[in-house]
Amino acid sequence: MSTTMPVEPLNPAVLAARHNEDILVGDELVRHSRVSRLLHWAVAISFFVGLFTGLPIWTPLFGWMAYLFGGLEVCRWLHPWAGVAFALFSVWMFFYWLGDMRMLPGETREWFGPKLWTYMKYEDEPDAGKYNGGQKLFFYAVSLGMLGLLLTGLVMWFPLLFPRWLRGLSIVLHDFTFICFMVGIVMHIYLGTTAEPGTFRSMTQGTVTKPWARLHHPGWLRTVTENKDRRA
Amino acid sequence: MTNGWVDIKNADVILAMGGNPAENHPVGFKWFMEARRTRNAKLVVVDPRFTRTASVADLYARVRSGSDIAFLLGIIRYAINTGRFHSDYVKLFTNGPYIISDKFSFNDGLFSGFDGTKNQYVKDSWAYEADPKSKAYALDQTMQHPRCVFQLLKKHVDRYTPEVVEQICGTPKETFLKVAEIVTSTGNAERCGTITYALGWTQHSIGVQIIRAGAMLQLLLGNVGRPGGGVNAFRGHSNIQGATDTGGTFEILPGYLKTPTADLQTLADYNKAGPPTTLNNVPWASMNYWVNYPKFMASLLKSIYGNAATKENDFGYAWLPKVDGNYSWMYIYDDMYRGSSMRAGGKEAAPEGFLTFGMNPVGLGPNVKKIIAALSKLKWMVVVENVEIETARFWGAPKEYGGAPPAQIQTEVYLLPASGFAEKDGTFTNSARWLQWKWKALDPPGQAKTDQEILSRIFLAVQNLYRKEGGALPEQVLNVSWAYTNPVNPDLGEVLKEMNGKALVDLKDPKDPTKVIKAAGQQIDGFIQLMDDGSTMCGNWLHSGVYTEAGNNAQRRNNADPTGLGMFHNWGFSWPANRRIMYNRASADAQGKPWDPTRIGIQWNGQKWVGDVPDMKPDAPPGTYGAFIMLPEGVGRLFAGVLADGPFPEHYEPVEAPITNPLHPKVTSNPVALKFASDKDSIGKVDEFPIICTTYRLTEMYHYWTKHQQGGVLNELQPGFFVEIPEQLAAEKGIANGSQVRVTSARGSIEGVAMVTQRLQPMKIDGKQLWQIGFPLHWGFAAAKGHTGPLANFLTASVGDPNTWTPEYKAFLVKLEKA
Amino acid sequence: MAQTLEIKRSSASMWGSHTGIRTSPTVAKYIDTTTCIGCKACEAACQEWNDLRRVPHQQIGTYQTLPELHADFWNLIRFKEQEVNGDFNWLMRKDQCMHCADPGCLAACPAPGAIVQYENGIVDVNQDKCIGCGYCATGCPFDVPKFHAKGGKMAKCTLCVDRVEVGLEPACIKACPTGCLNFGTKEDMVALGNTRVKALQANGFKDAVLYDPQGVGGTSVVTVLKYDKPEWYKLPADPHVGLLVRAWKNVLRPLGVVAAAAAVIGTFAHFATYGPKVPPEDRDDASSGSGR
Repeated sequence: MSTTMPVEPLNPAVLAARHNEDILVGDELVRHSRVSRLLHWAVAISFFVGLFTGLPIWTPLFGWMAYLFGGLEVCRWLHPWAGVAFALFSVWMFFYWLGDMRMLPGETREWFGPKLWTYMKYEDEPDAGKYNGGQKLFFYAVSLGMLGLLLTGLVMWFPLLFPRWLRGLSIVLHDFTFICFMVGIVMHIYLGTTAEPGTFRSMTQGTVTKPWARLHHPGWLRTVTENKDRRA
Repeated sequence: MTNGWVDIKNADVILAMGGNPAENHPVGFKWFMEARRTRNAKLVVVDPRFTRTASVADLYARVRSGSDIAFLLGIIRYAINTGRFHSDYVKLFTNGPYIISDKFSFNDGLFSGFDGTKNQYVKDSWAYEADPKSKAYALDQTMQHPRCVFQLLKKHVDRYTPEVVEQICGTPKETFLKVAEIVTSTGNAERCGTITYALGWTQHSIGVQIIRAGAMLQLLLGNVGRPGGGVNAFRGHSNIQGATDTGGTFEILPGYLKTPTADLQTLADYNKAGPPTTLNNVPWASMNYWVNYPKFMASLLKSIYGNAATKENDFGYAWLPKVDGNYSWMYIYDDMYRGSSMRAGGKEAAPEGFLTFGMNPVGLGPNVKKIIAALSKLKWMVVVENVEIETARFWGAPKEYGGAPPAQIQTEVYLLPASGFAEKDGTFTNSARWLQWKWKALDPPGQAKTDQEILSRIFLAVQNLYRKEGGALPEQVLNVSWAYTNPVNPDLGEVLKEMNGKALVDLKDPKDPTKVIKAAGQQIDGFIQLMDDGSTMCGNWLHSGVYTEAGNNAQRRNNADPTGLGMFHNWGFSWPANRRIMYNRASADAQGKPWDPTRIGIQWNGQKWVGDVPDMKPDAPPGTYGAFIMLPEGVGRLFAGVLADGPFPEHYEPVEAPITNPLHPKVTSNPVALKFASDKDSIGKVDEFPIICTTYRLTEMYHYWTKHQQGGVLNELQPGFFVEIPEQLAAEKGIANGSQVRVTSARGSIEGVAMVTQRLQPMKIDGKQLWQIGFPLHWGFAAAKGHTGPLANFLTASVGDPNTWTPEYKAFLVKLEKA
Repeated sequence: MAQTLEIKRSSASMWGSHTGIRTSPTVAKYIDTTTCIGCKACEAACQEWNDLRRVPHQQIGTYQTLPELHADFWNLIRFKEQEVNGDFNWLMRKDQCMHCADPGCLAACPAPGAIVQYENGIVDVNQDKCIGCGYCATGCPFDVPKFHAKGGKMAKCTLCVDRVEVGLEPACIKACPTGCLNFGTKEDMVALGNTRVKALQANGFKDAVLYDPQGVGGTSVVTVLKYDKPEWYKLPADPHVGLLVRAWKNVLRPLGVVAAAAAVIGTFAHFATYGPKVPPEDRDDASSGSGR
């Protein structure tokens, strides 16, 4: 009982990532500060609560999910509040990340063009900054989708305040948007975990390795290194 | 009703006028719908308002409130002039051929015999002429004699052209003619129509004459006495018919025997004044059934005084109170208010105490302000009611009703809690004269007691006081027979038995004196067995037959209907004699063959009358007696020389007249209408009060009771008082639907929610545009929380019909403002 | 006509709940607006039989009890003043749940078993399963479902399923004094309605019609109208379960499930094809951006 375990000293990069972002500490780059990561997870959790409380309302196929929360009635109560939380955190995150999300010239066209396919086949993205074009587009798509879910969700929350046609339209739009979200979230998780090892830690401890950065975001690596050099 | 509820299904045409049966009699109204569904009958509604009844009618005609006589006489004129009347029937069964005295006249709105000093008619000139040779009624079977009733009627109604009808009633000529055509389509043997009415006819200063006009129309069309025909009054409450039958008003005893008056000191005098005299008639004699009056009266006295009533003491006739004037309803409050009963013709001081039983004068009396002031002058008042009605708390009426502050009112009020109809046994006598037994559904709450227990306890206490202390006229009280098993709370079955009557000694068959038809103590079979010698007793001859040796016939529930006409002879008991259609002798022709073989009232089978219980001596062959056996002339009266205001109906404006009578400007309103002269009896003039107003009831509400129910569903269905206003009038005055308005008459002013509607329309009357508004009467200041409202009768006037003394609730003048 | 209740359809059920064991004829209410006098006996009977609470309200200038149906008021007579070719009409129609053969409320309802349709055609609500989402109100073309202020549960006419089950007519039918209401098999009620419509037509109401809208598969409330203007009676002229409701139930739901499944399968396929994109270890020098 009294044996003291030797405490491994904390990784200095991880310590730095509590408050900083876009810096090089040793061999690691700080990709997401703590606030940034917490925001992401707040959005993620509220999204999943919304998803799992919404799915059983959406189709009896997922009716079993309702029991995770205490039944369908709880879902009906919780879902809109999860949605509100999702919307609030998303807005916050939107403005927090907006600065990094400026599209570069030609980027949009590139990511909607045939290049997308090549990227999916792990072709390199030599110019990718902190976020590549796909990530940026995903960011905007999520934000827009959030807005759609929010507005249609409000109509569905208080259906009797709105005309019947608007209620019907809202339900359809809400469904459509969330289906897109569902597809998107599967890809997002896949890319952030299995598909690209070394990525997930950027959302846990906040840091990535140099090789990771060189592979996925060479532009960002250059900037961070240059900044460091300049500071030095 | 001459006919019955179910019988309405046999009609080809239904004229609903002076009533809103869909609103006020929705259950009976099913037979209207049945007639429409099964016979494709035509329902014609004539009303100032487009009512719930109008909403399902084939034809609706708007009339001005109070103009019904002009409308009906217009139809009579149309029938006579187009020949669309049942002439064989008229000759056989009406006094159309009878010749009237040459002293009879009608000029400038007044019939002959008008005494302008007393404002009443001397009716001598309204008599039939007797044939000098035969001493019988003089008749002209061709109905051509200028003084025969038919010709006099033709002349009388000739002024009521469609144009005049439009001028007086405001009904467009085309609509009136359509109504006239449909209604007179029954003026023959093949077809038959009915007229239904209610308080929309009775509650006028000309109420009786409106009903007369309707009855005359039906006689002309040959619709009286026939299945699917008749003149059918819908009574306002479930048992109001029973109340009237049992002497509900001051001038009648049970069975419509007359209350003795002070000038009739002996039973012989009384009996002589009772039945009308008849001349030997040609071609038919009259049964003149009232000749049995002495039997009915002797039997009634035996039921009141029991063994104390003997032939020697006139069966106690001397103990019966004798009236010395008019003690009708409005007179009572007038006496109270003015502090003397001189106006009533009496000689006594005004009453100091008042017992009001199952009645709410402050709610339903006219000119509420006067009634409240009248009650304030009493020393004591006993109110017997289920709930604390306005009358019981008149002292707490809101200020605007003009009562004195409660501290200044000395009236001591006792409220005795009574029980509702479901809390006691007994019978309901419906509009169709059916006595139907009902069984108690639940016990009265708290200390509430049944009516008979309250009455018995009061009576027995008074009798006891008399026994102990004596008092004025002790025989009146001490000799009353109260031989019930439980005198404190008599079983109503026993009371019904008493009303049916029984033999007091063995009754012998008049044809075979060796045969005993009823042993002493047995219930009699019907009034035909009553005797005038004290050998029978009967509490109400008209109801006799309801509780025979066979048992309580009011409890019968056999719905077999061999006639197919809905007569149901083994269901309950229908007075008189279980007859379902009165005057049914008139349903068959001179030979006793039914006018319409598909709708047989009764018919002569060679030996006797079969079908309904015949309104005729059952074995008297056709041609023996006239069809109207209660009348001395034996025929229906197109000319009735007995009413207070004329032998023919004539259009008179309401007492609060919106126009001068176009027919005779010097006599605008009924010259003999009942009016009072106290300082609270103001009459409004059209210059100040230009709008015609009427009051009515709603199907959702039960009179003044519903509002007392906290959380009741009916108060949910009609949440509060409203004033119905035509759209155009509302627009003119800037009144929005749902906003507050104020209605003011010469007597009072009330506020309510405006209900702006197209169901009321402006009317062109005598060249002027006039407006009609109205409101329901169910609210008042005594109610459950949230259900109070103004009293409609704050605005109505204490004026009324000279025959029945019924107030004119249905037509008065008001002004309307935004509140 | 006592009936054991066989469920024909149940809301939010994957495979439907119809076992098809017991049979029973479709029942229907018959409403003849041409003999209805608007006496509201049906309203009172409905309130009393169903033990409903009072809805507090005030006189606002109409004979109509409430402006609309209410979670505590399931049977409402609608009053309408309507002029037709110079003839004034005061139209009255008893409004309540129409009990559609193809109920939009049931189609829209996401709570399993909250709305059921019995074999006899009655569409009923199980409030214990209702989640108060209001989808039924969106699905219903007649604007019938209403919600309690507290708890948000939907409530509406049940066609007195508790009475019909034991062979009684619904309370409103029992109370009707004029016989404008009737109850029986749908077949009989339609026949009755057609007879009445013919009679009306013979009496000059040429466009009298029996309202039994096929857009929702017919209803278990058939209504005789004097005029073929359902909107005068506050009835939709051609009601059907909305296109949007159908789109969301029949298109988007399967599509969504497929899309989600496709996304999952797609990622697996991608992974199987390309494997992870692993950064080359320890290439210390950051000078070369080229991995090619």
